[in-house]
Amino acid sequence: MATATSSSVDDGSPPPESGYPGGGFAVSTDNSSRRKLYSRLFYLLCVLISGLSVVVLGVLLVSIGWQGHSRLTWDLLQNSHSELNPDSAGMWPSIVGSIFICGICAASALPLGIGTAIFLEEFKPNSKPLRMLHSFIQLNISNLAGVPSIVYGLLGLSLFVFMFNVFGRIQVNESSGTELFGVNHYYQVLSLAGGGHTVLIPQEEEAEKTIKIDAPTQAVDRDGQKFELAIWDPASGEPKPSDPKVRERTVRKGQGGGSYSETKWYYLRLPFGKSFLAAGLTLSLVILPIVIIASQEALRGVAPSLREASFGLGSTKWQTVRHVSLPAAMPGIMTGAILAMGRAIGEAAPILVVLGAAVAKNSGPQNLMDNVVTMPVLIFNWAGRQQAAYQELAAAAIIVLLAVLLLMNSAAIYLRQKMRVG
Amino acid sequence: MNRPAALVNKKFRSTGIGVVQEKAMVALLALCALLTIGITVGIIVMLIGESWHFIQSKYVSLSGFLTGTEWTALQSKDIEKAQFGIWPLLSGTLRVTVIAMLIALPCGLITAIYLSEFASSRVRAILKPTLEVIAGIPTVVLGYFAVLVVSPSLQFFSGGGFDTFNATSAGIAVGILCLPMVSSLSEDALHAVPRALREGAYGLGCTPFETSIKVVVPAALSGIISAFLLAFSRAIGETMVVALAAGTRATFTADPREQSQTMTGFIVEMIKSENEYGTVQYFSLYAVAFTLFVITFGMTLVGQLIRRRYQEVYS
Repeated sequence: MATATSSSVDDGSPPPESGYPGGGFAVSTDNSSRRKLYSRLFYLLCVLISGLSVVVLGVLLVSIGWQGHSRLTWDLLQNSHSELNPDSAGMWPSIVGSIFICGICAASALPLGIGTAIFLEEFKPNSKPLRMLHSFIQLNISNLAGVPSIVYGLLGLSLFVFMFNVFGRIQVNESSGTELFGVNHYYQVLSLAGGGHTVLIPQEEEAEKTIKIDAPTQAVDRDGQKFELAIWDPASGEPKPSDPKVRERTVRKGQGGGSYSETKWYYLRLPFGKSFLAAGLTLSLVILPIVIIASQEALRGVAPSLREASFGLGSTKWQTVRHVSLPAAMPGIMTGAILAMGRAIGEAAPILVVLGAAVAKNSGPQNLMDNVVTMPVLIFNWAGRQQAAYQELAAAAIIVLLAVLLLMNSAAIYLRQKMRVG
Repeated sequence: MNRPAALVNKKFRSTGIGVVQEKAMVALLALCALLTIGITVGIIVMLIGESWHFIQSKYVSLSGFLTGTEWTALQSKDIEKAQFGIWPLLSGTLRVTVIAMLIALPCGLITAIYLSEFASSRVRAILKPTLEVIAGIPTVVLGYFAVLVVSPSLQFFSGGGFDTFNATSAGIAVGILCLPMVSSLSEDALHAVPRALREGAYGLGCTPFETSIKVVVPAALSGIISAFLLAFSRAIGETMVVALAAGTRATFTADPREQSQTMTGFIVEMIKSENEYGTVQYFSLYAVAFTLFVITFGMTLVGQLIRRRYQEVYS
C-alpha cells in the first residue's frame, strides 16, 4: 500500500507553478507518505468539486433545453401571453417591456453611478471631516450592494409608485394623481352616423364620469378641431338628417356618454403609479452600487502618471477627469455597465413588487405611465403554473432570456477588447 | 510683435468663469455621491414608517411579532384570528440559507483554492468563464431549475420523502447561485497572499495540501470570512428561487424536507395576493422586510468591518 501511494505521488506531476519540490528527494517515511497521500487526495477533491460547477451548468442548460426546445418557434417571439390558449402563447410584449425598462434603467443609473465613482476616486478630500464623510459614503455603497433587491422593490413602491402618497393615491382604472401633461379627458358620445362613430366632448369636471347631452355643446373631432355639436330630438317629429357630414356631427337628444382619456406617449403624472418608468427607476437603484463599484475599479486602474502629465500641462482637476481619466477608464466602465444591465434584465423581484405579477398584456408600453411585462416576471408566472404547456413555455422563454444575456456578455467582452488603451 | 499662431487664434476664457464651472461640476458630482446616502436613508425611513403602521394595528403586538411561532397572515380568513409571529418565516429562511451555505461555502472555497493554487492555465480558461456564466444566470432561472430538476431528483432518490416544494431543493439552487460569488471573492483574497509565503512553506517541506490549508488560507482569512458573510446575506435576501421552489406554507420546524416559506417568499406571495394598501396583511409585508433588511445590512456591515480591520496588507 505504501509503495502504491508513493509511486502515485511520484508519477503524478504536481502543478508546475506551485513550486512543489517533486518526489525524488523526499524522505520515504510512513509520515511523509501519508502526508503525500493527503495532498494527492486533496488535489483530487479540488478537481472533483471544481468540476462539479461545470457539471451543474451543463445539467442546467441541457435540462432547460430539453424541456423547452419544442416551443422555440416564431410564435414564441411574436405572440403574447394567452390564458386560454397556451399552445400559441408567446413573449413578444415581455421582450419589448424588458428593453424599455432597461433603457430607463441605463439612462438613470449610468450617469449617476459614473458621477459618484468619479467623485469618490478623483476628488479625494484632504480635511479630516470630509475624509470621514468620504469613507462613510464608500462604506455605505458597499452596504447598499448587499441589500436584497426585493427591499429596493419596496423602496421603489413607496418612492416612485406612491411617492409617499403626497400627490394622492393612484386608483385602478381611474385618472388620478397630479397629471402634468400628455393627456386629454373626453366624454365619448355616439353620433347619429352609426357604426360606432363617436364624438368627443372635452371633460371639464373630472369627478363626473358620465354626461347626458340635452343641449348643443362644443365638441372636438379626432384631429383636435372644435365644432358645434347639433342635437336631433326624435320626439319633435323632425326627420333624421340624411347628409352623412351632418349626421357625424349630430347626436340624439338625451344621449349619455362615458369618460375616455386620450394619452400621448409623453403622458406624465405624479405619482408614477405602476408604470414602466417607476419600474425602470427602481431597477436603477438596484444596479447603482454595482455600476459605482465597477467604475471605481476602472478609474483606479488608470495610471497616475497620465493624470500627473495632465496636471503638469495646467489642466484643472475636472479637465483631467474629462479628457484623461475618463476616456482611459471607459472600457472598464462600459464592461461594468453592460454586466450591470445583464443583472437588470434578469431581475424579477423588484419588478414583481413594483408592477405586480400580472402578465396579461398584448403590446409594449404605449406611454410613460403604461404598465409592462418583463421577461423574468413572465417566466416566473409561467414556471409557477401546473400545466405542462406553461412549463415548456417557461423553459423556452428562459432559453430566449439566456440568449439575450449571452449576447450582452459577448458585447461586453468585445468592447473590452476593442477599447483597450495602448 | 509676432505672437505664435496658437496664442493668436486661441479664445482665452476668463479664469473666473472656469473656476465657477469647475466648482459647479464638483458640486454636481458630490450630489450624485450624496444621493447614495439618500437611498439608504430612504430605505430606512420607508421601512420604519410603514412597519409602524403594522405595530400600531390592534391585531398585532410587538412581542407577539418577535416571539410568535405561528404566521397565518394570508391563510386565515378572519383578521381577528390571524397570527403574526416572525419565527416560522425566520426558520424557513434559515433552513434554506443553511443548506445553501453547506453547499456554497466549502465548494466555493475549494474551487477558489484550486483556481489560485493548483489549476493550470488551460483548466482556468474553462473554469473561470463557467463560474462567470453561473453568476450571470437570472435567479428566476435557477428557481425553475430547482422545480424542474432538483426537486424531482430529490423525491426520486428519497423514495418520495420530500414535499414537491421543499427547503432542500430551494437551498441547493441558492447554493449554486452563491457559489461563484464565494469562489471569486475568496480567490481574490487568496491571490493577494504573496508568493514568498508559499515558497517558505514549500522550503520547509510542506506538501501542496499543507501549504494551502495551513499557510495560504489563514493568511487570507479576513477576505474569505467577509466573502462568506456576503454570500450569507445574499442567500437570506434571495427571492425568486424560494418563491418558486420553497413553498408557501410557513412552518416552524427544522425538517428540510417540508415546505418552508421564507421572508422573501412571503413578500412575493403577499404582493401576488389581492390585499389592498392599508390592511394589516399589507403592512406586515414591511415588518418582514424590515427584519430582512436589518439582518442583511448587519451581515454586510460586519463583513466590511472584518475586511477593513483585519485584512493583512502585503506591500
